[in-house]
Amino acid sequence: MLNIKDLHIRFKTDDGIIPAVKGVNLFLEKGKTLGIVGESGSGKSVTSLAIMQLLAPNAEISEGEISFNGQNLLELPESGIRKIRGKTIAMIFQEPMTSLNPVFTCGFQVAEILKLHEGMSSPEAKAKTLSLFEQVELPDPERIFDAYPHEISGGQKQRVMIAMAISCNPEILIADEPTTALDVTVQKEILHLLQKIQQKTRMGMIFISHDLGVIAEIADEVCVMYRGEVVENGAVKQVFLSPRHPYTQGLIACRPQMHRRVKYLPTVEEFLSETRLHPETENQTTDEAFLARQKSLMKAGVLLSVKSLKTWFPLRSGWFGTQKEYVKAVDSVSFDIYKGETLGLVGESGCGKTTLGRSILRLTEPTGGEIIYNGTDLRTIPARALRQMRKEIQLIFQDPYSSLNPKMKIGQAIMEPLKVHNLHNHDKERKDKTYEWLEKVGLKPEHFHRYPHEFSGGQRQRICIARALALTPSFVICDESVSALDVSVQAQILNLLRQLQEEMGLTLLFISHDLSVIKHISDRVMVMQKGKIVETEYSEHLYKNPGTDYTRQLLAAVPEGIKTDDLHR
Amino acid sequence: MLIFIVRRIIQGLGILWGLITLLFLIFYVLDSPVNYMVGENADEKIVKNIVEKYGLDRPLLTQYADYLHRLSPVRKEKEKWVFDSPDLGVSYQNDKPVGELIGEHWFGSAVLALFSLLFASFFGISMGIIAGLYKDRFPDRLIVSLSVLGISAPSFFVAVLLIAIFSVALNSLTHLNATGYLMETGVYSGESRIVWKNLFLPVIALGVRPLAVFVQLTRASLSEVMQTDYIRTARAKGLSPLRVLIVHALRNALNPVITSVTGWLASLLAGAFFVEFIFNWKGIGKLAIEALQKHDFPVILGCTLMVGIVFVGVSILTDVLYKISDPRVTV
Repeated sequence: MLNIKDLHIRFKTDDGIIPAVKGVNLFLEKGKTLGIVGESGSGKSVTSLAIMQLLAPNAEISEGEISFNGQNLLELPESGIRKIRGKTIAMIFQEPMTSLNPVFTCGFQVAEILKLHEGMSSPEAKAKTLSLFEQVELPDPERIFDAYPHEISGGQKQRVMIAMAISCNPEILIADEPTTALDVTVQKEILHLLQKIQQKTRMGMIFISHDLGVIAEIADEVCVMYRGEVVENGAVKQVFLSPRHPYTQGLIACRPQMHRRVKYLPTVEEFLSETRLHPETENQTTDEAFLARQKSLMKAGVLLSVKSLKTWFPLRSGWFGTQKEYVKAVDSVSFDIYKGETLGLVGESGCGKTTLGRSILRLTEPTGGEIIYNGTDLRTIPARALRQMRKEIQLIFQDPYSSLNPKMKIGQAIMEPLKVHNLHNHDKERKDKTYEWLEKVGLKPEHFHRYPHEFSGGQRQRICIARALALTPSFVICDESVSALDVSVQAQILNLLRQLQEEMGLTLLFISHDLSVIKHISDRVMVMQKGKIVETEYSEHLYKNPGTDYTRQLLAAVPEGIKTDDLHR
Repeated sequence: MLIFIVRRIIQGLGILWGLITLLFLIFYVLDSPVNYMVGENADEKIVKNIVEKYGLDRPLLTQYADYLHRLSPVRKEKEKWVFDSPDLGVSYQNDKPVGELIGEHWFGSAVLALFSLLFASFFGISMGIIAGLYKDRFPDRLIVSLSVLGISAPSFFVAVLLIAIFSVALNSLTHLNATGYLMETGVYSGESRIVWKNLFLPVIALGVRPLAVFVQLTRASLSEVMQTDYIRTARAKGLSPLRVLIVHALRNALNPVITSVTGWLASLLAGAFFVEFIFNWKGIGKLAIEALQKHDFPVILGCTLMVGIVFVGVSILTDVLYKISDPRVTV
């Protein structure tokens, strides 16, 4: 039905012409799902946008053919492709939050496309929209019809997008990372919905994702893209169970998996260069080793003890400044962290996990409770003492792009906190220390004088790690520190953190929404829901015997795809 | 919404109270009003009469209370509580009631401000849209350079320049007067008639700066909106480029521009001082400048109060408009 032949796309930028897609061949059959998997910059989104001819103005298709039912879409005039967009080929995007126009109601935005392509009158379009909303299982379609996008949740927005996409019974649905921005439980529902619709309408689907688990769950065929090329394609089972290309092998292996336990994650580089840093035999962690570690942690004692910590945000204030309602972001949370331990904190978006991390550092002022760190209550010490304490407790943020000052050389970014806390005698020593840390996190000393924009996401996160750890803190809070990174980079950063933790005896509070990452890195895991800790357990136990329904739901929603145990020789 | 409006009105009253208190401090406390009325070398007897007439020998607080009472819209007059426009007194220059003077002059300012704003919005927004759509290409570069000129040129300079070019140098072509008001009284007939052409130059002189600001705002806002995900969604639906622009992009892109337009309405109503003065345009600005030159305190007070009320009123209107055009704003 859809056939892409030898597609080349390049971008014209200030730095010259950059090829984004280099000779891609794809083939989609009616009623089938083609999964495209790859990391950021692999050209997967660009390819899908090219089908709809929605590329950015500076992109140019230099060669190739995209034929749909025997017609080359690239030869169609603008008016011709507009008849196809939304009608025979529809698309849903990654960010449901920003993909709907904020100033129009959801109903208007769906009805608009029906009026355009099906020539419906307003009442007809409304009736059809309501039935579509029912089909995508939106609660209370009448209300959603008149609701503005900001009034409904992310999952609901994505359902509205799906309703819009399937409104004209398209022959092909292109889904570009449709579940990436959603919580795992919502993701599961959306995937299920898409499968259901596909079975009913027999439409072909192109499903783009960086997440192998998701692809394995939904796709029939898969193609793996790497640096603008398709390195491997075939039936899903075949590609996942016996990947031929080293990149595919690496990609599958580097993702932390729930049923496997390793100390260091394999990385894609190891597969591409065929050198293993951590041989399988040394890398295994046994139950005995785990128990021994837990015992020694217990002996080391408690480093941080949080007692009934509350952080409430006023929702509405009355006329005289009296608070009437609160959002209880963190509601009576108590826990201990042992010296040298990694405590995982997992929960869905909005559960209060980030606020908890910030409250411990008093970056967000808690409303009540105690934060006892090494015997002192951080909540009651004066601001000056707290600032000194910040040397001991460091935070690594989620977004390495916005947490580095773009106007500051990275060397200075690392040196600044050293200066603030008056560590080392003079700038010369601090500079040496900075060089040392750049090397420790896998960067080069000559990077000292470069600016953040010259680095990739993974490198920036390494810089953030160096900046936090150069102060030799004893406690580090990692807030979604690897969530914004590609899986292959994620594996490198997780390995780096683990290695540094061992060298420095760090204690970590690792916050993430990703259960597999949490399981890989943590000794114990806390599960948070609506501001409260619902369960705290050793990670192995938690994953084998979840104690609460909520944890069970979370675990069940993780797309495991095809088990890859037998891959690991 | 209603609570919000009530709250903003109360805030506005607070601002107005601060304004008149400030004026009281300047004209009553820092210096005696007598000096403004009769000059420094006045006869002692006249000074004494004035002091007695206006009660200027009373304690300052009593004077202040009296001053506030006269300005309050609710006050006691002849043993009866009345609701009336503030009692601004009479002009020192010609004994005309200040209310009457303002009544004669506000129309000119309003006409000038409204037309300037219309001129600035229409050309500013359309040029901004062109620039936004052709970002970093020739039309954009040209429009942006012109708008930078427009922002940096002070209005009195533009006014003089316009007069020099269109009414002096090109007079044979344009037949425009250097100065003049909207209404003119015919020399022979004695009837007053509207002279629209007198509006041209003052409107342009006053409108150039907001026009340039609107260009920049529209351009920045539109080029940002055109890169958003929801515009991509709109295009992916198969909508025509024109509908994508007008329906989906402009509704979003114009929000900050609308705020700015209404904000400028207030400053134009209030700030046409130089332009009115240069073109000899009968408006609040001209009235205020002349009153300032003559130390005519009641008129200055009246003009200031008028400008203050307009400012506060328009800013409340802005917030309400913003709320209507952008459903995400909670007030």
